[in-house]
Order: sequence, then structure tokens, then C-alpha cells
Amino acid sequence: MLAPSAFILGLFIVYPLGRAVWLGQQRCNAFGDQCRSNGFDQYLDIFTSNEFQSALRATIILTVITVPLGLFLGVGLAVLADKHLRGVGFFRTAFSSTIATSVAVASLMWLFLLQPSVGALANIDWINSLFPVIKDPGLLQDPDTALPSVAMSSVWAGLGFTFILVTASLQGVPRELHEAAAVDGATGTMRFWKITVPLLAPTLIFVVIVLTTRAFQTFGEVDLLTNGGPRPGNSTTTITYFVYGEASVIASDPGLQAGGAVLLFVILLFLSGLQLRGLGRRTDLG
Amino acid sequence: MRTTPVRLVSVLTAAALLAAACTGGDSVLDAGNDDPPETAAPVTTPTVSEPSGSAPDSEVDSTPDQPDAEPDDTAPPETVGPTTTIAPLADLPPCPVEALDAADGPVSITFWHAMANELETALVDLVAGYNSSQDRVQVTLQNQTAYESAIDKYIAGGVGSRPDIVQLPEYVVQAFAQSGTFVPMQACIEAADFDMGPILPRIADTYVFEGIQWAMPFNTSGPVLYFNRQMFEAAGLDPDDPPVSLEELRAASQQLVDSGAAGFGIALDSGRDSGGGWFFEQWFGRAGEPFADNGNGRIAPATEVLFDNDLGLELLTYLQDMTASGLAVTVGDNSGGQDTFFKMIAQDAPAASTIATSAAISSVVAALGSGVAEGLTPDDIGVGPMPGPSDTPSAQPGGASIWIPAGKSDEVTAAAWDFTTYLAAAQTQSTWAAATGYVPMRSDAVELDPIAALYAADPRYRVAYDQLLPTVDDASAVVPALGPLREIRAQTADAVAATYAGGNVEQILADAAAASNALITTYNSQN
Amino acid sequence: MTDVRVPAPAPGTAASDGDEASKPPAWGHRTHAWDEPHGWRRFGRYALLVVITVAVLFPVYTTVVSAFKPSDKFLVNPLVPDSFTLDVIREAWTSGNLGRYLFNSTVVAIAITTAQVVTSLLSGYAFAYLRFPGRKIVFYAFLATLLVPLEATVFVNFQTIESGLTLPFSLPLIGDHIPFGGLNSFQALIVPFLATAFGTFLMRQALLDLPSDLREAARLDGIGHLGFIRHVAVPLVRPTLAALALFTFLSAWNQYLWPSLIINEADANTVQSGLRVLSKSNLDQPNLVMAGTVIAAIPILIVLIIFQKQLVRGLTAGAVKG
Repeated sequence: MLAPSAFILGLFIVYPLGRAVWLGQQRCNAFGDQCRSNGFDQYLDIFTSNEFQSALRATIILTVITVPLGLFLGVGLAVLADKHLRGVGFFRTAFSSTIATSVAVASLMWLFLLQPSVGALANIDWINSLFPVIKDPGLLQDPDTALPSVAMSSVWAGLGFTFILVTASLQGVPRELHEAAAVDGATGTMRFWKITVPLLAPTLIFVVIVLTTRAFQTFGEVDLLTNGGPRPGNSTTTITYFVYGEASVIASDPGLQAGGAVLLFVILLFLSGLQLRGLGRRTDLG
Repeated sequence: MRTTPVRLVSVLTAAALLAAACTGGDSVLDAGNDDPPETAAPVTTPTVSEPSGSAPDSEVDSTPDQPDAEPDDTAPPETVGPTTTIAPLADLPPCPVEALDAADGPVSITFWHAMANELETALVDLVAGYNSSQDRVQVTLQNQTAYESAIDKYIAGGVGSRPDIVQLPEYVVQAFAQSGTFVPMQACIEAADFDMGPILPRIADTYVFEGIQWAMPFNTSGPVLYFNRQMFEAAGLDPDDPPVSLEELRAASQQLVDSGAAGFGIALDSGRDSGGGWFFEQWFGRAGEPFADNGNGRIAPATEVLFDNDLGLELLTYLQDMTASGLAVTVGDNSGGQDTFFKMIAQDAPAASTIATSAAISSVVAALGSGVAEGLTPDDIGVGPMPGPSDTPSAQPGGASIWIPAGKSDEVTAAAWDFTTYLAAAQTQSTWAAATGYVPMRSDAVELDPIAALYAADPRYRVAYDQLLPTVDDASAVVPALGPLREIRAQTADAVAATYAGGNVEQILADAAAASNALITTYNSQN
Repeated sequence: MTDVRVPAPAPGTAASDGDEASKPPAWGHRTHAWDEPHGWRRFGRYALLVVITVAVLFPVYTTVVSAFKPSDKFLVNPLVPDSFTLDVIREAWTSGNLGRYLFNSTVVAIAITTAQVVTSLLSGYAFAYLRFPGRKIVFYAFLATLLVPLEATVFVNFQTIESGLTLPFSLPLIGDHIPFGGLNSFQALIVPFLATAFGTFLMRQALLDLPSDLREAARLDGIGHLGFIRHVAVPLVRPTLAALALFTFLSAWNQYLWPSLIINEADANTVQSGLRVLSKSNLDQPNLVMAGTVIAAIPILIVLIIFQKQLVRGLTAGAVKG
């Protein structure tokens, strides 16, 4: 009964990982068909190379933007739309709606939105006078704003997910607690921090884990929005895009590609370790 | 427990600091090169051949690249025949052109292409014409969306996943010739006794490496100037006499901006296959200077780039001045090629012109024809020769060519060749050029309709053809052949982008040249 | 790794397996509204909600507007729906090939979902009820595969799928070579995702939560393993199965990297890789690309509306895997 799962997992996860670890210490010619072993210290060379460091930095910046912002927006909106208001259902539907967009759909929407000459944002005068960079050279074209813009599109696409989770979890917070606290004179802010946040914590940790993992695996947004650019500096080339992106400097060297992929795994493993600890502790308590 | 997110963030921050501390490392392409291969080591691929009867017009100099040969003293191509690092033609995969006769039924072949927009439509029509014109070969098109994708997917796939025929750009000539995965087109040409005579030599030579014709030119283009005639008129410029030299372009831009006719004189970019890479190479050709040593890499594999010189400095300084003074605007990487055109129809501060491939004409005309830009009809767009560092219009052929992968059955190879001859035929070239904006690669096609009629009726289409005609005798006639040319274009594109951003051009140029030379060294040591 | 209980599908919601947790965010009204804001506070909250809604829906709005505008209008004033046509949508469907991509995605997502539900049930059952040597080790081996990101393996998987698998021994019926259909095939899109450790854990957990004497009673009735799974377990773990199915379907549908790597024939694309093709080869026609995104988003929207009930559980379930 285990055989089907074990076969698939072995063939498509265990074996390729092992093989990638082996390939990662090889260097190949321009066509990747003649490779030679280079020793496992090649991993160190890849890790410390300018390109990998730059991709790592981009990935980390992306994470540092998308995770807190995604969390903040998700929780903020969920709390905001949690009150008993007429028509709140409409707002909830609106905030949940981005769940229906895949990475490709969301990115293409943003691509047109942000096009500096004819895009939608470039047609709104007051926004442009506030942020001239939208038109010149464009949010996705300016090395300083490109990565935050990619992050924004990513946060947007993930908003529905976070919102739905937090909203569902908010509904598990007993009203009586709030009521009692309110009677005792606790303000809304106090109640939020003392009641809501602790009870939401498991969900929040979850959201952080998911958003972090997603940020580290960012590929589609970059592929569609910036192609890893803008030049110079390729500030949006994430690790995944560095390994698999179109016309990456290592696109034709299977050795370096495998090496980069394995390093991504190691980094995620490191993060997973932290995550599992958090989770394990969480479930023990829960 | 609640500290976990905080800890995550702090770990990330620590990692970021670590990352920052580690920078200043080497390029990833140096990975594992702890003992850098002797730069003097000759190319490692086997056969440095004996002079071979089948290599055309060559007295083969079997000494491969010498690393420190004085770059400025490259021997003229007429006196030194090409080196052969691959193998003489006789040792390469043969081209069984007759095998189609033995096939039982129609042979199906797949054709990978990278034609987008109107170009794809035209190619679909062309292939439909071929399929219905005969019953021996059926061609299926597979759009790879971009040359880059086609290249990556070709390399990633094994023989079985590779197409039977593939369209590849001019900048991969060396790498793909050396890959050992193609039937050299020369083998087919000789086996079928195909007449290359009418094909413009400059275009055919683009796909010659080490004396062997590796691919059949198909879609040939050149960079041209697209400009808004209304704006030119409003600025008091003659729309029938667009700027040809870079200085004329500067003056025209000044007039366009000063008169208020346009926000910017020209929209520039830092794309690898446009302003950042391709045009930069083109401008060296225009000035008659080699871009790389060993005859632009055509006589023997190049060992270094030569663009870190006065001309390179002059070009980057020009680009920096133009953007810094507000005469030109950059649209960034322009990876799909459309952003410069969008800038020409932007609602405020539009640019009056841009440089782009001639192949964009059809898409531009179609888009304007559909009314995409208010008040701008297809006739309002003028086309002029590529502005460059000389007063005489001239450009190196660009575009792409047809390659036949090896390792297929004889019938398939023969079918691929048959289809190639269709694509290379005068009538096809005429039809194709008229539908796209590519130029016919052969002189006899120009006399056939529809392109003959179109050239007479609409001279805009002819500009790109005319600027290929000037005969250039030296190595600068065609784009350089460099193993890692697409990576080098990424380097020059970075340099151009850094130039727009206001960096020190001397430093930028030196860095780009150093990085490019490292790429070449690595490539040469591994292939 | 202390005994990591596979986190129940959703910390926060999953502790109770009942209906409460699997409810979508309730859009309905509550009865007691003691904290309902009044006056200016109420107005301020509405204003804030409206502003944020506008901001969140803005990309959707511009997309829809441009998807339905004719080519000669969409650049002129991309924010105003001053004209309407279905031509662009039609073009995206036909020449943009979106119809074909949707079909492919549907086939692939359904196949992966079905297969994962089955393999997860089987292996989950094995870990829950079977005693065999090395069970613990195998279990941890399964657990470990959760840590390997797709990105680390697709590289080699590409080669495996392309050239097939040559076994060092010969299997009955199959022989010693298993072809996976090569690039561009449905198999290539499906096979690597036929099973996941995640689904295994989810089902193991759900099965372990069943009353322990159930299996014993079934055994006494002479019901075998498969019979037990089919007739006893499945009806009882249906909510978990549904959550797993929805999550699997969504992730299969949304895959981007894998199909973009292994597909190089137009007709073989999924919606996501197809949108990539559409966009990269029609950058001069943003309205066509926008029409493509509208078409691509609609089916999943419908699926989500139909399966609203399973959505929260599906999402949280998936969150474990990330």
C-alpha cells in the first residue's frame, strides 16, 4: 500500500535531490554535455559568488517585504471587516478575491497596471505627480523600485489567502471574551493585543511560514514582470530565477544550476528547521 | 512561541548581513576554477584539423588562438584562413538530402521558432503555404516565445526532445556550431548543390564559423530608426531626411525637445537584443571597428573583446549625454521590445523616435492601423537608417537563421533540408519580407512581388535592405562570433544601463570588458 | 524533531474537526452586535473599507476594462469602460489558444487530484494501521521529503521525464524501462505529483482520529484493508479528503515553474505556462493578454465559489506544506 507513494516520492524527490547534490559539484561546457567533477567546495564558490549573493539578497529583501506586509494587511483587513457592519460581506468577498488569481494571472495584471507609458497607473495624474517614478522610468524599470513592486504584486496575489485564513480564525475567537473584557473597561486596542492576537497566533505563525516559503520560491512574478532585471544589477533576480530563469548566466551549465538549486534547498531547510520547531511547540501547546 | 516570527525575521536579517559581508566574491562562472586553466591552453575540443579539402577557400591555420596576440594587429581575413576547432566538414554529420525520396509517406517535422506578434502570423501563413504546396513534408510550428527560450530549451533537452529544425539568432553561431549537435548547413548545400550565389554575402557570412556555413539565413533584419513624422514636422525637421549620424540625431533631438514637438528626441533602452547589446555591437561595425579579436571571432575563436577603446568610450559618453540632457529617455530593459514604442505614444512626454529592429514594422503598422494611438496613422511613422557613428548608412545583418539538428533519421533531416530550401527560396523571401519587415536575404528576391511592389510603394520597408548593401571588406562586416556572446551582451547591456544611471563611463566600460574577457576565457577553457 | 504530530490541518481552526472549522468566513450576520461602531467611527470604518477595496480591486478593474475594450480604444483611456467588445476575448480564446490550455489544465489538475487522494489514502492507511519492520524510519523518510522544495528537484526530474526511467531489473508487464511520455505530454505534467508526503500525513492523521475499535470490528467482520478504506474510512474522513482534494487541485492548477520548463509545444501548455506564452509573444497587445488572464481566472473562481465550504480547510491544510 505504501508502494505507489514511496515509488513516486523516491523517484521524484529523493533521487533527484541526491543526484542534484552530485551534479552540483560539476562544471560543464556551454552545452552541458561534457561535465567534470570539481569537488564539493564548488558549493562554497557558488554560494559566495556575486550572482548568488545578489540573488540571495533579492530573495531576502523580497521576504522581508512580503511577509510582514502580507501579514499586516491580512490581519488588518480581517479585523477591519470583522465588525458587525452592514454590507461587510461585500468587502470580505472583495478582499478574498485575489485567491482566484494564480501567479501568472496576478503578475500579468500588474504588468499592464505598471507599464510606464500606457499602463493604467500612468494614466492617473495625481498618483504620477506624487510618484514620478511611475512614468520615468517606471516602477518595474527603476532598479530601486523594481523589487518592491514585484513584492507588491506578490503581496496582492497572496492577500486573499491570508485574509481568508485570518478571518476564519477570528471567528474562532469567542465573542464572550471580548464582551467580558469590554465590560471590564478594556479598549479595542487592548483587546486586540490581549485577546485576539494570542488566539490568532497559530494561524499567524502559519501565514508567516507559508509567506516565507513562497517568497523563497518566487519565480513566476519575476519571469513575467521583470525578467530578472532591471539592469544594471538585476535587482529582482531571486535564487529560483537565478537557477531557472530565461537566459540566466548559468542556464547552460547543469552543474551550476544543480548547485544553485541545492543551495536553495539548504537555505529552506534551515528555515524549515526554525518553522518546525515553532510548529512543534505550537502543537504541543495546542 | 509568539517570538517565532520575530526570530524568523531576525534570522533573515542576520542572513542578509552575512550576505552583505560576503559580497565582493567572484562571478559564479569562476566557481571551481581554483586553479584557473592555463589561459594558453588551446581549445580542448579534439581535432585541430589538418587543412581540409571540404572546408571552403581555406588554407587552414591550425594554430588556435594565442592568448596574448596583439589584439590591434589582427591579420586581415584575406590572408589567414579560418582555424578549425571543431572538425573538417567531412567528419561532421552528413546531410542525406536524397533520403526524402525513399520515405514511405509524408514526413512530419517540428520547427521551433521564436516569432511573436505579426511575425508569427506571417510565419504561420508561410508554413501553411509550404504544407499545402507538396505532400512529402508536413511542418508543425512550435512557438518558443523568444530566442532565449528556444536556446535554453534546446540545450536542456536531449536529442529526442529537440526539434527537427530550429530558428536561432545570429549571436549563438559559435556556441551552437561547437555544440556538435547540428548537421552543418554546408553539408546540405554541397550535397544538394544548392546555389548560394544570390544570397547577400554579408548575410550568409553571418552564419559562417571557421569556414563552414552552419545555418541558412532566414529572417534577416537590421536596426532602423522609427520616428513620428508629425513631430518631426512640428519641430521644423524634414521627415524625409531623418538623422543618420549620432550627431545629427543629437541635433534633431535638441530641435524636437526645444520646439516642444516631443517630450524626448528618442526613446532608448538597455535591452540585450536592442540598445544594450545588439546596437552597441552594430555601432562598432558601423565605425568599421572589430568588436573582438581574431577577426571578430570569425577567423579563429576570439580571445578577447576590443570594445574598451576610444569608440566604446565615445558611444557610452554619447548615450549618457543624451539622457542626462533630457534629449533622450531610457525605458529600461525593454525585454519584449515594445516599451520604446509605447513611449512614442505615451500621453505625456512622448518620444519622437526610437531605434528598433526592422522586423517590428509590420507590428507597428498593424497596431497603428487598428487605431491604438489616437491621431497617429501608420503613415505617420517614418523609417530611417540606423543612426550610428558615421555619416553613411550601414548595418550588420541581424535576425536569425535555420539550423538542422543532427541525430535525426535520414528522412527527417532530408525533410528539414527541403523545408529550408523553401524558406530560402526567392519567392518565399519576398513574401516573408513583405509581411514582416525583415529583409530578403537574397538579391533576386527583391525583384519579385510582393516585396518589389512594396519597396516601390512604401520605401520604409526598403531602408533595412539598403543599409545592408554597402560592401564591407573587413571583419566588421558581420556581427562578432563569440562563444558566450549572449552573456557578453548581458555585460554590455549592464554597462549601457549603468551609463544611463550616470556612472563613470570609463570604469563601466573597463568592467564590462573585463567581465566579457573572463567569460571568453572560461568558455574557451571548457569547449 | 520530537514527535511532531503532523499539525492538524489548521492550527486555530482544525482542533475541532466539526463543521465550525470548515465553514468559510461566515458572510452572514451575527446576532449580537454590541461592538458595532456608531456615528463617525462607523463612517470612518466604511470609508477605510471602501478605500482599501478600491485599491485591492483596482488591478482587477483595469484588467477587466481593457480585456473588453476594442484594440483602438484600450490605450486611449484605460481606466474608463467607454466601449465594449467581446472580440478580444474571442481572439484570446482562439488564436491565443486559451481554450486548449484550460482543457489541459483541467485534465492535469483532476488527474493529480484523483491520484493524490488515492495514494494518500493508501499510504496514510499503511502508516496508521499496518505494522511492518522499519515503519518508523520509512515514516520519517516520508516526513523528510516535505522539506525538499520543488525547485531543488525539478532540474533532475526534467531529465527523468525526458528520457524515462531505466530500471536495473525487469518488472513484469513494464519491462526495465518506464517511459514517462517525454516532454510536452500529460504524463510529464502529472506523474511527478502523483503522491505527496503531505497527503499521506493528512490522511494518516484523519484515520488515526477514527475510533480505534472501528478497524478491529471491521477485521472481525472479515473486511480487508481495501474494503475497510472504501466502505468504512472514506465516508468518515470525507471532510479531510475534500480539503486535500481542493488544496491539491489548486496547487496543481497554479503550477508555473514545472510546466514552463517541460513544455515547448503550444498545444501542451497548461493555463499558467500558456499565459506565459501568450504574454511573451503578444507584448504589443496588452488587451489581448488581459483578456487571456480574465479567461484563465474565471474557471478557478467558479471552482472556489462551488467549494467555498472546503476552502478554509483546504488552504490551511496546504499551509502545512507551504
